[in-house]
Amino acid sequence: MLGGYLLIMATLGFGLYRLCRPKTGDRHGRSLPAGRPGGLPAATGSRRGWLALARQVTGTAVGGYLMLMAVVIAYYYGVARVAGDFLTSAFTGTAMLIGIAVPLFGAASWLTGRRRRRGSDTTGEPPGRGP
Amino acid sequence: MVQHPLVGYLVWAALFGALFAWEGLSLAGAGSLPTLSDVFRVIMRYPVGRWALFALWLWTGWHFFVRGWHFLLRA
Repeated sequence: MLGGYLLIMATLGFGLYRLCRPKTGDRHGRSLPAGRPGGLPAATGSRRGWLALARQVTGTAVGGYLMLMAVVIAYYYGVARVAGDFLTSAFTGTAMLIGIAVPLFGAASWLTGRRRRRGSDTTGEPPGRGP
Repeated sequence: MVQHPLVGYLVWAALFGALFAWEGLSLAGAGSLPTLSDVFRVIMRYPVGRWALFALWLWTGWHFFVRGWHFLLRA
């Protein structure tokens, strides 16, 4: 519970700090650059787009997993020795969630890209980026 | 703290109540507060921010859907 609280507050605090930092001509920093929310670089080809997406998803999943494991280990050894198979459950349970979510995300992204390409084929518009 | 789990629930209720109140006020345009979407968009610009959000998502899923549900992990 403490770990989740610290993660929420640190993440939101960082976002608020960056958002509310005064910028020239933008009082609240709302003028965000056009593009994808994750800062994915614009790719010209579909293949490059898929590679960039896969790289970003992999990096996010691995980085987030390692970050959570670091928090969990620090909490277990530094704050409270939670009874039961706490550490084992943390390592295997979150890995299982990633194993479920990442393929589903990939499939949803592929379906979305396919639908977008089909739509552009029927309307005659130039096809957009892959993912 | 262990003897008083109600305090933990109250803290979480207050935290989420504050978040919902913040979102409501920002969507209503009161005081030109940034919405949570704005905040998350800024956080997700940075790799460390994406890691933290993903870790938060993982922790939430693990806490509510995996811990204690032993049949999911039973061999």
